[in-house]
Amino acid sequence: MTAMRNRVAIAGVGYSQTGRKLPFSDDQLVAQAVTAALADAGLKPADVDGISTTGGVSMSIGALLGILPLNWFFTSSLYGPSFAETAVMAMDAVAAGSCHTALAIRVIRQPRAEDHPIAAITAGSSADGPVRVAGQQQWTAPFGGSLPAAFIGGLQMQRYMSEFRATEQDFARHAAVQRDHASRNPEALFREALSADEYSQSRYVSKPVRLLDCDYPVDSASAVIFTTPERARDFRKPAILVDSWAMSAVADIDMALLDDFTSNAIGHCSETLWSRTDLRPSDVDCAGLYDGFSIITFQWLDGLGFCGRGEAPGFIAEGHTGPGGSLPTNTDGGACNVGRRHGANFCIESVRQLRGECGERQVPGAEVAVWSNATGSFAGASLLTIDR
Amino acid sequence: MTNHVVYPPMPKPDSVTEFFWKGVDQHELLIQRCLSCGRYQHPPKEICAGCLSTELAPERVTGDATLVTWTEPVKAYDPYFATHQPYIFATVNLVEQEPLRFATNLIDCDGDDLRIGQPLRVAFREVAPGCTLPLFEVVR
Repeated sequence: MTAMRNRVAIAGVGYSQTGRKLPFSDDQLVAQAVTAALADAGLKPADVDGISTTGGVSMSIGALLGILPLNWFFTSSLYGPSFAETAVMAMDAVAAGSCHTALAIRVIRQPRAEDHPIAAITAGSSADGPVRVAGQQQWTAPFGGSLPAAFIGGLQMQRYMSEFRATEQDFARHAAVQRDHASRNPEALFREALSADEYSQSRYVSKPVRLLDCDYPVDSASAVIFTTPERARDFRKPAILVDSWAMSAVADIDMALLDDFTSNAIGHCSETLWSRTDLRPSDVDCAGLYDGFSIITFQWLDGLGFCGRGEAPGFIAEGHTGPGGSLPTNTDGGACNVGRRHGANFCIESVRQLRGECGERQVPGAEVAVWSNATGSFAGASLLTIDR
Repeated sequence: MTNHVVYPPMPKPDSVTEFFWKGVDQHELLIQRCLSCGRYQHPPKEICAGCLSTELAPERVTGDATLVTWTEPVKAYDPYFATHQPYIFATVNLVEQEPLRFATNLIDCDGDDLRIGQPLRVAFREVAPGCTLPLFEVVR
């Protein structure tokens, strides 16, 4: 039941500079994040023998940063739960002994016009006939469903609202609570108080998804160093133990065609995670629950069992997820406020909370944290504890 | 001077999906069905995910469906949809099987009046010259 328990630890975390259209290449962003994580752990590049990445190529990153030879390396296909995928691979590798110290990296840039996901669709002239789309896109693009805010956020949020009678006010309240956390985080990109009215005035992107329900696209890289608990105890910072982790896929990549639009992979991943630990939801002191779209945080609150299915709106309204609540959630402000780190910020903020490094937003005495990533077809999650 | 026609993105069928889009051109909704276990499957594949049979064939379905979920994309980057606002992108379930999901547009309806489970029916529409798509309308 607890076979995973404490076989892996986190020794260091780090971010690159983060912001809109920064003058840095992916390589520069990765180098900044890895340098920060190594400094956090008190390690040198030669202390690392494994690299896992979502974005870029693991072997090339090893060559770039002088981290060779590698005993183990993994490059994501990008069809997975983003940072959670790269982290789960690194944790599996350390637990199995394939390497002893693995970097897990996520680098992602604010889409430029030319590399927008549907740029290929819109690039062709429509004067001489339609642009032709192949593969999975042939089932959504002809119907105008190519934007993630539509085929992921819009479809899932509308279903949740209709099925559980959630309202726009519920999402406005959640956005205000997240901003309240962000106001206490010097690294957040949005820190001004947000009123429910301001939420309601933000434009729809794909109704019912408003602009303030979407994570904020930025250029960023994030790095987390996974190692064995024995090694971690010799490093600079207190070791953070990984109690358990899980990764799920419940459908192909066509997120417009899910069997279940509210529980989906999140429900399955949550169930698997709790089956691998003696910890219970009531043991968790703080949570980092992915918010690529704000509906996803609601789904994780439900799925992980912090409240019943469909009860996240009430749970948030009662103040549980806010500062001083029973489960402060997304204490960095979430990706809507710190920028799109594609899941890595939830792991990194959890580590910082357990170390007691969070200053004004510190959850007093935090000993157990959960972080999660993704929705729909795939999901990943992990429980962390402080080594006492 | 010729009129400038704006087309939506249209499918580029492959050998596995060709039957579906040819059916649409004939105003027929053809869904792949397994000849071994009887399971419907969409999108079509070369293998039945239910029993791993490779014996699959198109079958004409009623075109009746129920509403699963929907959204109204406002920020449309595509030139066709940018000039066809508002529109509703929806996931429906074809009545032949649960689940048998299909992504489409809902037409001739107001997004605020929709509800889960609402009965729908396929409507083949020529959205641009030579471009027919299987859309759905509310059964009233």
